[in-house]
Amino acid sequence: MIQTLRPRGLGALMLGAALATAATAPAQAQSAEPCIGASWELTGALAHTGLQIRYAVEVALDEINEAGGILGQQVTLRAYDDQGEPARAVDNAFRIGEQDNCVIMIGGFRTPNAIALREPLDEMGLPWMGVISAGTRVIEHETGENNWMFRVSMKDRWVAPFLVEHAMARAPEGRIGLLYEATGWGQGAVPDVEAAMAEQGMELVASETFNIGDTDMTAQLSRMRDAGVEAIVFYGVDREADGVLRSMQRIGFRPEIVSAWGIGGQLGNTAGALADGVLVAGTFSWWGELEPRAQAVLDAMVERFGLAGPQDLLLPSGTANAYDAIHIIAAALEIAGEFDREKLREALFEVSHEGIVANFDPAFERTMERHDAITPDAYRLLAFHEGILLPIEQTPFGDASN
Amino acid sequence: MGNNMQFLLSGLSIGGVYALVALGFSMMWSVARAANFTHGDIFMLGGVLTVAMFAAGLPLWAAAPLALVIAMVAAAAIERFLVRPFNKEANAIGWMLTTIAIGVMIESFATATYGPLPRPLPSPLAAEPIFVAGAGVFPQELLLPAVAVLAMLALYVFQRYTRTGQAIRAVATNRVAAGLMGIDADRITMFVFAAAGGLGALAGLLIAPVIQATTTMGLLIGLKSFMIAIISGITNPAGVVAVAIAFGVAERFIEGYLSTSARDAFGFTLMILVLLAFPQGIFGRKEVSKV
Repeated sequence: MIQTLRPRGLGALMLGAALATAATAPAQAQSAEPCIGASWELTGALAHTGLQIRYAVEVALDEINEAGGILGQQVTLRAYDDQGEPARAVDNAFRIGEQDNCVIMIGGFRTPNAIALREPLDEMGLPWMGVISAGTRVIEHETGENNWMFRVSMKDRWVAPFLVEHAMARAPEGRIGLLYEATGWGQGAVPDVEAAMAEQGMELVASETFNIGDTDMTAQLSRMRDAGVEAIVFYGVDREADGVLRSMQRIGFRPEIVSAWGIGGQLGNTAGALADGVLVAGTFSWWGELEPRAQAVLDAMVERFGLAGPQDLLLPSGTANAYDAIHIIAAALEIAGEFDREKLREALFEVSHEGIVANFDPAFERTMERHDAITPDAYRLLAFHEGILLPIEQTPFGDASN
Repeated sequence: MGNNMQFLLSGLSIGGVYALVALGFSMMWSVARAANFTHGDIFMLGGVLTVAMFAAGLPLWAAAPLALVIAMVAAAAIERFLVRPFNKEANAIGWMLTTIAIGVMIESFATATYGPLPRPLPSPLAAEPIFVAGAGVFPQELLLPAVAVLAMLALYVFQRYTRTGQAIRAVATNRVAAGLMGIDADRITMFVFAAAGGLGALAGLLIAPVIQATTTMGLLIGLKSFMIAIISGITNPAGVVAVAIAFGVAERFIEGYLSTSARDAFGFTLMILVLLAFPQGIFGRKEVSKV
């Protein structure tokens, strides 16, 4: 009796152990649901940023689902509000990765939120696709290893030389100042800008910060004026940029401004003519004559969300990036052959896609640096003209001498 | 010299905002020994409601007073329903919880309806700066300290020479005795909260053309103004206005000579040190109660 029970008991024990092992195996070994999770800022001071991404994501998913879905399944969006707070973004990631079991997660506007996700994503084995948050460390981790985070967006380390190059072209004596918001994004850009200046054989002649919500930057700008700054490299968003322009007007100091893409179309709405000539790095503009596919996307967003037109796309580049990101994910899932996170990750290195922002061929490579799909050759310079953020070629500011 | 004048003018502007909002805190505290912690949101409503109604087609001359009236009614309602029921006993602090909670709700509701983005409020006084000794300032900004001082003087005259004003002083001095003399202390308190709300909303309305009206504009202003009211001796209106303007100027000089990041750190440290040196506030008097 004992002899017959022993092997059965051992078998049961081994079966139990196997089941327990399976239950505790990394999540990436499991099949995922055909859903795309998102943690965006949907309420709070920058609530429009989540909405601007959502326009493109929903239109892209509509296109995909109307064409039969991905692998024959309809794909849904599960969007959660993080209110711009990293802790809430982490909570949302766990909800998306564990409760919803989505196959991938889309990121939002803020770099600190994306950085906060690095460990949770690793823990869950959940792929993440950024579409705006441009901080270098979002993709290039200090550990030298990034398994799950990808981005269809700009990267500050690549943006900084782009901004410096255009600022230098507009500063006869090369006197460049840096003005940045005191956040993880702004502070993270400082070494990138300093390195870009060093590559030009120059140093910043002034470096100033401001806090979120500040409206009077007179003190900082007075110091920059006294330092002889000819062009300012700016890292901030519309609200504070408006304060900068008003402060410049107050003290009669208006150097060239070449900004990272925290500035969007909203600055034109609030600052009006004061914004004219402000240059902004970006990847896309919805104004002017568009390629037929991009025009169709714009038309779909206008119809579905009741937009007035491109003037309602306040983060033009981020919206376009989000549209391309969804199609890259769809193409990768088709290559993966099933809704499996590990297989999706591997497929992301194989996918090529002709997008509206760029031709992603390939989208990603197996180096940490190239977990960014948009390379600097796709960066564009936009300029405010008559309150509208246009491709610089469509403005009088296309020539640096202007 | 140019920079110092610049810091002075910029400081006068923000100091004027602090002064108007802090004056409201002073008035409320005097009569109720309680504060309306939505006062920063009432400040916000002054700017946001004006912009919203102006955008809806009302002329500015109608939108601005209407916004002030709505803000005053809101402040009165807050006193009636969220302060008075929670301030019946000595040392009651329930009003803190209720006013903080309703403040969060007001901001959330405003964000959901007005939107999260700042919006401009056109004003001819904020279109072009004027220059004084090489320093630039928008005339609109100079309105703020001027209006704050005028409001303080008007309050003094009102309290000194009108029956309602004398009733306010009576309630502030001894609420029970005022009641025994036939003064409706509750009605007076509600009136004062409404007037304080009007001053706060006026500050929001006046600064909106310079900084854009946004639903989050009141949070830090409300907090700092309350602290300014405390350190200046909250029941002394003239002291509150003087300290508020001085604090605004000090902030700009700290920004100018140190850095923006030092502004709040030094500013709040300064407040704590002042409070240590003057526990009743700079212009405050120790309250004596006979037992």
